[in-house]
Amino acid sequence: MTNAIKLAIFLVLAYGAVPLALGGNPYVIGLIVASLTIGGISVAWALLGNLGGMVSFGHAAFFGVGAYVSALLTMRAGWPVFPAMLAAGVGAAIASVATMPALRLRGPYFALAILAYAEIFRILATELKSVTGGAAGLLSIPRLPMVLGIDFGSKLGGYFVILTIVLLAMTGYQLIRRSPYGLALKAMHDSEDATKVVGVNSTMLKAWMLMVSAFITGVVGAFNAHYINFLEPDYAFAGLWTTLAIVSAIFGGYRTVTGPLLGAVVVYLVDQLLFKAILPQGHQIVLGVLLGAMILFSPGGLMPLLVAKFTRKEASHAA
Amino acid sequence: MIDLIAQSLFSGLLSGAYYALIALGLALVFGTMRVINLAHGELVLLGAYVSYTAEERLGLDPLASLPLALMVVIAANMVVYYLISLIKKDRELNSLILTFGIGVILTNAMLMIWSADIHSATTPWYHDAVILFDTLFAMQAELVFAGAGVVLVGAVWWWLEKTWYGRALRAVASNRDAAKLMGVDPRLTEILSFAVAGLLATVSGLALYTAKVIQPSLGHNLTVKAFIITVLAGIGSVPGVLLGAVLLGVVESLTVTIASSALQELAGMVLFLVVLLLMPSGLFGRAKRRG
Repeated sequence: MTNAIKLAIFLVLAYGAVPLALGGNPYVIGLIVASLTIGGISVAWALLGNLGGMVSFGHAAFFGVGAYVSALLTMRAGWPVFPAMLAAGVGAAIASVATMPALRLRGPYFALAILAYAEIFRILATELKSVTGGAAGLLSIPRLPMVLGIDFGSKLGGYFVILTIVLLAMTGYQLIRRSPYGLALKAMHDSEDATKVVGVNSTMLKAWMLMVSAFITGVVGAFNAHYINFLEPDYAFAGLWTTLAIVSAIFGGYRTVTGPLLGAVVVYLVDQLLFKAILPQGHQIVLGVLLGAMILFSPGGLMPLLVAKFTRKEASHAA
Repeated sequence: MIDLIAQSLFSGLLSGAYYALIALGLALVFGTMRVINLAHGELVLLGAYVSYTAEERLGLDPLASLPLALMVVIAANMVVYYLISLIKKDRELNSLILTFGIGVILTNAMLMIWSADIHSATTPWYHDAVILFDTLFAMQAELVFAGAGVVLVGAVWWWLEKTWYGRALRAVASNRDAAKLMGVDPRLTEILSFAVAGLLATVSGLALYTAKVIQPSLGHNLTVKAFIITVLAGIGSVPGVLLGAVLLGVVESLTVTIASSALQELAGMVLFLVVLLLMPSGLFGRAKRRG
């Protein structure tokens, strides 16, 4: 099967079969929308981790900034929802510029510096009461609009919007990876010093990846704000957004484009449908177990593990 | 106002000594293995919960529950060490994600066992007030554990500088292979550093339980504070940990007094970023390129 056929089948399933089969069940569609939201952050996180070689513990910062920018533009400045969501991505990218001094840092220092930024943004959102409404939050954020007779404000409409956002993000990710920049970034991962010597401005490239990652996360945050119509600092900047994205990306394989999305859907649905039912309190323990197990036994994620199993089987059949 | 500032500085000093206890465990493991144990704060909390259970169920004084808490926390930290030692590739980042996962496991395990309720020590002695120089106020628990903090930091410093095992630990930190050739067993010294980190975490846990309140979600916050202090101190400086911790304690406390308690965490984070970005080797660290 060629990749084009696979893609076509996937698109038919995602845009046709899933809504037809599950559209009548708002609970399940709601869960899928939430899992795609996490998938969006996860794709953005993996883009930064895979292409930029940086692990972030603070993607909640960009998620929260995006959510607030879009909510405030629509509520206070009267912007229509979709342009405001794009502006939210830009806002998150601008916020990422503030975090760029941290690009000098590597490894754990970068990861935790971004976490500090997320905390700072959360506290600012709580304290700037006149703008953000403070800890009380923002109520009745405009819902997604009706366009061409399709009500995007419904659960199913929301599904189409977030699905499109995530697929666009993945397309962008793939385009960057295929471009000469992708090659430079890959080389940077192997040896940053050697890449610098042949004339690649590695800091600049990393900065761009951070901005792209922040942009995607911001748009996803904005979507979520309009989808649930409510926002408060502790929710918008919650560490859980980062945790879920990391678990999904590591589980699905953060070096692949499709892995993070697959990981998010599997991890979130299994967590919500299975473990939440078994362990009403503390079911997130499963996330920690998954994360630890993947890092120890298959740091490349689940996909390489399955692929390795299959190829081994095929090879033995051939022999 | 002068009185308020003096009280604020005094409280800052006391919490600084307590922060130093938490941070030293993290810094010690970081110094030996270049591993940031993101579950360290959760271990502190685990120690606190063990003494809560001992007080609640057996009527033990929090101090008397120390041996029990030590056993639990050190055993847990040994498991953490074992899991980290299984990582072969890209240890710096993979261990970060692994210990982050362990932190999530511990937080949720504590939530399941002890529920989300807030607890603090019920033995009244710890909360009794002490007034120093007619003006400065402190709880007895704060004084006891600030003292314990200074003593333990001093003891660890002496241990690292003067004893054979301490030297072995520093040798492994600076060059693992060379230390091996000199007859030092790197695994043993690493285990030792995790055990000492567990001990420090347990004592910090007791301090947390007797002087403050405990709740399952606190662990992450404690880890972040410990990491901030490690960065302030710079790698490989034990007195730096104490000074960095006091600096953080005083800055937080002054922020609460002068501005508002909502900004307490913000002050610590800003201090962290400023030091991280302007003085990458920390305030007291030996000069070293980061990363």
